[in-house]
Order: sequence, then C-alpha cells, then structure tokens
Amino acid sequence: MPESKKSLSQRAFRGLLKILPFDFRANFGGEMERVFDEQKRDVEKRGGIVDFARLWWEALTGIFRTAPREHWEILKHDCAYATRMLQKSPWFSITAILTLALGIGANTAIFSVVNSVLLRPLPYPQSQQLIFIREQALKVGADHVPFSVPEIMDYRERNHTLADLAEYHGMAFTLFGHGDPDRIRSGVVSANYFDMFGIRPMLGRTFITADDQPGAPPVLVLSYDYWKNSLGSDPQIVGKTFEMNDKVHTVVGVLPPVPQYPDKVDMYMPTSACPFRSSKMHIEDRDMRMMEVFGRLKPGVTMEQSRADMAAIAGHLQAEYPKSYPENLGFTADASPLQLELTHSARPTLLILLAAAVFVLLIACANVANLTLSRMARRERELSVRTALGAGRSRLLRQLLTESAILAFGGGALGLVFAYESLHLLTQFASRLTPRAHEIRIDAGVLLFALAAAIGTSLIFGTISALFARANLSTGLKEGSSGAGSGLRRNRMRSALIVSQIAFSFMLLIGAGLLIRSLMKMQEVNPGFVPQRVLAMKINFNWAKYKGDDPFADVAKKVLDAVQAEPGVLSAAISSGYPLEAEMITGGPNSNTFQVQGRPMQSGEAPPIASVASASPDYFKTLGIPLLAGRTFADTDDAKAQQVLIVSEHLKKSLWPNSDAVGQRVTFDQGEHWSTIVGVVGDVREFGLDHAPENEMYAPIAQTSNVGTILLRTSMDPAGAMRRMREVIHGVDSQTAITQEMTIGQARLKSLESPRLTATLLGLFAGLALLIAAAGIGGIMALAVSQRVHEIGIRMALGAKRENILGMILGQGTTLAMLGIAIGALGALALTAMIKSLLFQVTPTDPMTFLVVAVVLAATALVASYVPARRAARIDPVEALRGE
Amino acid sequence: MAKTNDVQSHLPLTPAMFQILLALADGEKHGYAILKEVALRTDDKVRLSAGTLYGNLARLESSGLIVESQKRPETRFDDERRRYYRLTEFGREVAVAEANRMDEALGQARAKKLFRKPRLA
Repeated sequence: MPESKKSLSQRAFRGLLKILPFDFRANFGGEMERVFDEQKRDVEKRGGIVDFARLWWEALTGIFRTAPREHWEILKHDCAYATRMLQKSPWFSITAILTLALGIGANTAIFSVVNSVLLRPLPYPQSQQLIFIREQALKVGADHVPFSVPEIMDYRERNHTLADLAEYHGMAFTLFGHGDPDRIRSGVVSANYFDMFGIRPMLGRTFITADDQPGAPPVLVLSYDYWKNSLGSDPQIVGKTFEMNDKVHTVVGVLPPVPQYPDKVDMYMPTSACPFRSSKMHIEDRDMRMMEVFGRLKPGVTMEQSRADMAAIAGHLQAEYPKSYPENLGFTADASPLQLELTHSARPTLLILLAAAVFVLLIACANVANLTLSRMARRERELSVRTALGAGRSRLLRQLLTESAILAFGGGALGLVFAYESLHLLTQFASRLTPRAHEIRIDAGVLLFALAAAIGTSLIFGTISALFARANLSTGLKEGSSGAGSGLRRNRMRSALIVSQIAFSFMLLIGAGLLIRSLMKMQEVNPGFVPQRVLAMKINFNWAKYKGDDPFADVAKKVLDAVQAEPGVLSAAISSGYPLEAEMITGGPNSNTFQVQGRPMQSGEAPPIASVASASPDYFKTLGIPLLAGRTFADTDDAKAQQVLIVSEHLKKSLWPNSDAVGQRVTFDQGEHWSTIVGVVGDVREFGLDHAPENEMYAPIAQTSNVGTILLRTSMDPAGAMRRMREVIHGVDSQTAITQEMTIGQARLKSLESPRLTATLLGLFAGLALLIAAAGIGGIMALAVSQRVHEIGIRMALGAKRENILGMILGQGTTLAMLGIAIGALGALALTAMIKSLLFQVTPTDPMTFLVVAVVLAATALVASYVPARRAARIDPVEALRGE
Repeated sequence: MAKTNDVQSHLPLTPAMFQILLALADGEKHGYAILKEVALRTDDKVRLSAGTLYGNLARLESSGLIVESQKRPETRFDDERRRYYRLTEFGREVAVAEANRMDEALGQARAKKLFRKPRLA
C-alpha cells in the first residue's frame, strides 16, 4: 500500500515501531503492521469506540514492553562481541583505555576539588545567607579594614538586613600545663558566633550569652584538628582546664571539622576572656580596629540590599564621628557572600587547571579516535562482510559505539582510581588556596562527572569513528582494504585530528610555559635582603608575667644579648616579623595613614600610607638590607628617647623624590606624637616575591615592644643552631613559647610553593598532552607509510633517493605540526589572558615562551615522524612492487 | 542467545509464551492467526498485541522452540508477506513440561483441598 493511502492509524503505528531496535523492526516490522491492520479491521467491523481504544492501548503497552527488552538483548550481544574484538587487539585496547584514563582521571581529580571548593555550598545551614562584612577606606586603597568594638555595636543595632551579626579576631596565647609552653592560636568570638553559623558542637556545647559577660569564668571551645592532633581525640576533654593568660580556662565543647576563616585556629574563646578585647580601651575606642565581622541575612533579603544597608550605616557614622572617619579616606562599608570570601583566591587557579584538564581529555579523545580509525582501516573487510551478510548499517554503527563506550567506561573506571589516588596531594595543594580544602572528597557529584566524562568521551570518539566507518562500508568490499577514495578522506580526517591535538597541546604548553617563566622570574627577583644563613624563630613571651610600662623591652634585650653571645652567631636581631613569613604573605601589609610635618593636607586629598614593622638595631645588618642614607637604630633609641623611624627607598622616593628624607618628621595621630626619620634603607619584598615593594617604615623595637621574631645570621648549620637557640632562649625565660623555626631561605622557598605547584600541575598536563600528541603523530605517519609502500616503491624505482623519501615523510609530519602550532598559537593568544592574574613579570603573549614552545613541539613532531620516515626510506623497491 | 536444550531451564514459561506454543501445537500458523487462536481459545482472557506477539516469537525462535516454516499453504491462500511459524520438537517438549508442571501444581492444590467451597460465617 502506498504511504499516501495509509490511514492515520497505520501511519501512527508505523511511527510507534520506531522505538524498537532497527534489527527487530527490519525483521518483524512489516508483519506487525499487518497484524495491526487486521486487528483494526476486526474492530471496525464491530464498530465500538471502546474496542478501538482497547486496541490502541494494547498496541502501545505491547510495544513499550517489548522495546526495552529487545534493546537490552542487543546491548548484551554487542558488549560480548565488542569484548571479543577488543581482546583480539590488546595493544589497541590498552593504549586507548590508558589514554582515556589519564584524560578522565585528570578531569575527575580537578573536578573533585572544584566541586568541593567552588560548587558545594558551605557546610552550614542556609549557608547562602552568610556574609562577610568589611570596612573600607577606598581613597587610600584599603579595601579591607577591620572593625572596632563601638563600630560592631553600631552595625549590630542599626542594620535592617541582618538576622544576626557576630565578631571574630585571632590572637596567639601561650598555653601552660601540657608539656612545653605551647603557643596556641585562638579565635576570640562573640557568644552568638557558632549559633549564627549554625555549627553544632561535636562534644559538649558552644558559647552562651553568659560566657560573654564581663567577669564570666573563662571557657574554651576546641577546634576539631587541635582536639584530634594535640589532645589525642580525648573523649573526656569537656570539663578539663588549661592555664593561659594567668587564668584557668575550662573546655566546654569541641567543634566538628568546619572551614575556619580568616585564620585556622586551635581554639575559640568568648570576647570577655580575651585580655585585649575586654579592656576598657578596646571597648571604648572607635579607632582600635581589629575585629572581623560576619553576618547572616534575614530571610528574603538580597545581598545587594544588605550591601546598601552597610554603606548607609557607614555614611551615618561618618557624619556622626568625623574625627574617626576623615573625609579624605573615602570611608565606607561593604559585604560579600561568605562562600566567595572563602574561595576567591582559589577560583582562578582551579578554573585554569580544570580548563587544562579538559584540554587533556580532548586530546585523549582525538588520539583514541585516531587509533580507532587506524584500526578501522584494518577491520574494513570484517565490517564490509558483515554488511554484505545483512547487518544493517545503523546496526554496525551501534556496534562501534558500543565498543567505544566499553573503552570509555574502562578508561573512566581507571581514571577514577587515578583521581582517588591523587586526592591527598590535591588536598594539600588546595589548602594553600582555601580553608575549604579539607572538604575535598569524591562524592556522588564527582562520580556523576566521571560518568558524564566517559559518556561524552565515547560519544565524541565513537561518533567520529562510526561516521567514517559509515562512509566506507559500501566501498570496502569493492575496493579492497586500502581503498583509495575513502582512504584519502579518512587520512584527511586523521590529519585534522592530529592538527587539533597539536593545537591543544600547544595551548597547554604555553600555559605551563608562562607559569614556569613567572616562577623563574620570581626566583630571580631581588628580594632586597640576603636570605642565606639567616634563621628566624617566632617567639612568644608569657606576657602575663611582664606587666608594667615596658613589658617586653627588658626580657627581649636579655634574650638578644644571650643569643648574640653564642659562638657562631654573626649578628642577631629582634623584630615584629620577618620577610616572606607565611602570615605576612596572607595578611599583606598593614596600612597606617600618617602626615608629614610642614605638608598640610588639602581637603579631600588622600593621606600617605605605610606598613610599619618593628626592628632592633642589627635587623638590617642581619638580613643584609642596605642602608642608603642616614643611620640605622642604636641602643639609645629606647622608650625614653625621641621617637625615630627608618623608611624604605620606595617611601622616600614617593614622598621626597628630590629632597632628603632624613630629618623629616611624621605623625600617625594627628600631631599628638611626632617621629623623626633617621635613615633610609633598601626596599624589601616582605609580602611575597611577586608583591612589589610598598611604602615601609621601621620603628625601634624598644619604642614599640612589638616582639615576635628572633633573627640571626650564623655560621653554624641551621638545625644545630636552632636546637642551641632553643636552649639559650629557655635559659633566659623558660616560659617562652617558640612556635616556628626556619631559615629565611626556607621561607622564601615556601612562599613559592603555591605558584610552583600550579606550574607543576599545568606542566604535568602539558607534558601528558605532548606525549599523547607525539604518539599520535608517530602512529599516523607509520600508518601513512604502510599504506604507501607501493607508491614509495615506484618513486624509488623511478630514481628517488632514500634522503628524498626520508625528507618527504618528515616534511609531511612537520607540515601537520606547523599547522597545529599555527592554530594553537592563535588559540593561545586568545586564551592566555585568562591566566594573567597568575603571571609575574611575564606578559600573556610573551614571545620567548611562544618561540620555545613552538620549537619544542616542532622538534617532538620531527622525532615522532622520524621512526616511520626511516622505515619508509628503507623500503626495498623490488620487494614493494612485487608485493602488490 | 545460545540454544539450550535443557528443557527445565526454560521453565516456567510466561503465559504468553505458553499460549503461543499451544496455538502452534496443531500446525503452523502466521502471526495474526496465532493471536486470533489464543484470544478465541482463552475466551479473550489472554490478549496479545502485535508488540508482545513478535517480541515473544523472536525469543521463542532464538531459543529454538519454534522455527519459521519454509512450507507454505497453497498459493491461493498464501500471502507473500506472511511468515508462518512451526513448533520444533524441542518446543513441544518444553510445552509438555510446562503443562506437566502446571498439572502437578494443580494436583497439589487439590490435595490441599484448596478448592473447597468457603463456608458461610
């Protein structure tokens, strides 16, 4: 019956049959249509609408019940067949699975980090409501100014958008009663802190309002890590006591593992237990800013509404307290989602690594597609014979897709193992970028991602190979296994795949190259000091013991004298911190605004700012920081003497470009106290090798008592020196906690760890890509040679020399490489702007990197084509022609 | 699917399969005839649709319980497009085994007096 004469029912039934597998339809489709027709005719004879509905209902359910079963049968059959075929070519199977495993593994590993850090909500109830609030002095470039106690009170009372607001500041205290005096890091928080986040304690309780009242008995809540690592997961810890700050503190609870921000701390105490925070001065002085503030939005309030709310409060405060918020600072307040705050520094690096991993997977796909195409050339006869024997074309395509799916799932499973194995390393890496690193794990989302990667992969390379099989099936039998027309077309496809592999490898290599160049520049950059043989030890006196006007000056001097008297100590100093200290790098410079005597501020003009450090007289000598003008500090620059300062070259140049800085006077408190500049020293990269020098000032340690570090230049070996210094320091005061010892060289290396790891990971991906691409080029050239034995034989018979043949094959390999490099270079030019934020003194289009990468890639292509080219050159023309 | 000659491995048959084998017990038939015969014999209790019929025929054929018949009725009754199916010897054995299995079950149910009339409470 012609299609046009068929009834609507018949056409609908035929359409319904399409959900059955092709083979089944081909076999029984006609019969089924006929049976349906006859059933319909019976129904029409009887003429009931109910019968007609019943006929359709049964037809529908019958086909929907049969279709899945038939598809399943075919899948089982195809899998069995595919497994047999893959077992027949084990090298192909192993190479394909390994290549895909590397690609999928790299993606899954990086995605598990991206998923845990960037995608999953923070582990708190309604975490999207949590925000981080900061004050800002925009005109002097300070975008993160902490809060003072009166300010916190104001923001708590005046806001309209927050359900709750909690404060935090980090403090280091010395803990007694558990072996050596231990310096612990403590978070000082308002009583509502944990309730606001919605953190339930793992043991005991968190803080209640009564804990925060003046004079309340001091209590502690321990962090999970401290409880686990330093207290051996003691289940009876609640109720035990610690002595700290001359007071006995009782542990009331232990936290579950939660991300800690802005610092990772060992324990928490309420504000009333912190001797600084609970002092009258801190509670009353609007300008003593050291607290961080977190908030929870009221339900239904948007981020934008809250930001406007905070800015409005800042505006009102500025009007009410003009002295605390000078107009020329550009004072305001802003808020951002807490999740963003916890992850923003990790985001660019992680996204770049994910993009790199996707590139590796694409290269792996292209490579496996190429392998499959080469294999297809050998299987052409088998496939053609099957077609001739009646296998439908789509049936064969289905078979090929099943084979690619088996390879991809094999690769995916192995890739998952790779990802799992690398998780520990990645967690360590990520912990340098975000406090969420410990949340990294392989969860359902990651498994789904790996599954999607495997399915996507099998679709990409399976479709490529299936499409070309389809084009060739009809010609395979007629033209023999190396059919010229289809072969050409397939070779073009293979060449395109190779070119794309090289292009993607080029982009990856450029990314890695730029990061490595940055790293090299960072290593070469002059830090402004001589790090060799300098030791830094972080020390903390038990401050509770040294009360009075001049708490530390005396003991600090004693310690310094004792250290200096040691044989092998060339020079020693005491300071607030040391260059490239981890906390200096994460915290950045402290911004103090000041005024210069005789230089009145114009209204609206931003005051100069500088980071201020404390140093004892030999600080500059010990670190090898050059004195450029004036003098360094002397022992006479003590608390009773005139206040003095030494400034950095950068500050000198920005404030007194054409005159002397020495002798100038500056004030930090609107003229209440004046300090005289007595010297100018060289610039130091204190806050990271990639952090350009800023305005810096040094004050004598005897005038600030900001004691934190002992520095010494020594001729001893560092480990022995550290042991000895411990004894010397404890000899002066046994209650001194020594919390960190390292050489400045180690600190310098450590500061480069994060860029080094990023460069290493990207380099690893790029190396992987290069390897896969090289194998691809080698493979396709070998195949091309084997297909052209006859032609090469003729050329040689006609007088072509071996060198010509060698040159011809090498030339073809190099042409592909050049094309790939050209396309890759265009891609790289477009993409490298993405990694700009990770680069240091290298432009994203650095010609040197592009040149080196191009040469490396071209050389790799040349080497990879050399083996097949040599084989081509050794072809015996007589043998080749006889072989035909 | 590999042909398994072990009769027991095919038991129990689905009701549809058993009915199809029964329909073929007295001679070869084409699809629509099978469907009609089953409906008539079971008083419309077992109704096959085109989909379930051919799904089952495919399965029975691949397990060797039926084969497509090469013999055709006289040309004036025949329709070129129609395929006829015939019970194989193995198919008959399976059908008999299934009938025996059901018979046995029926006997056991009788022995347990499962069929006695419910008493009125």
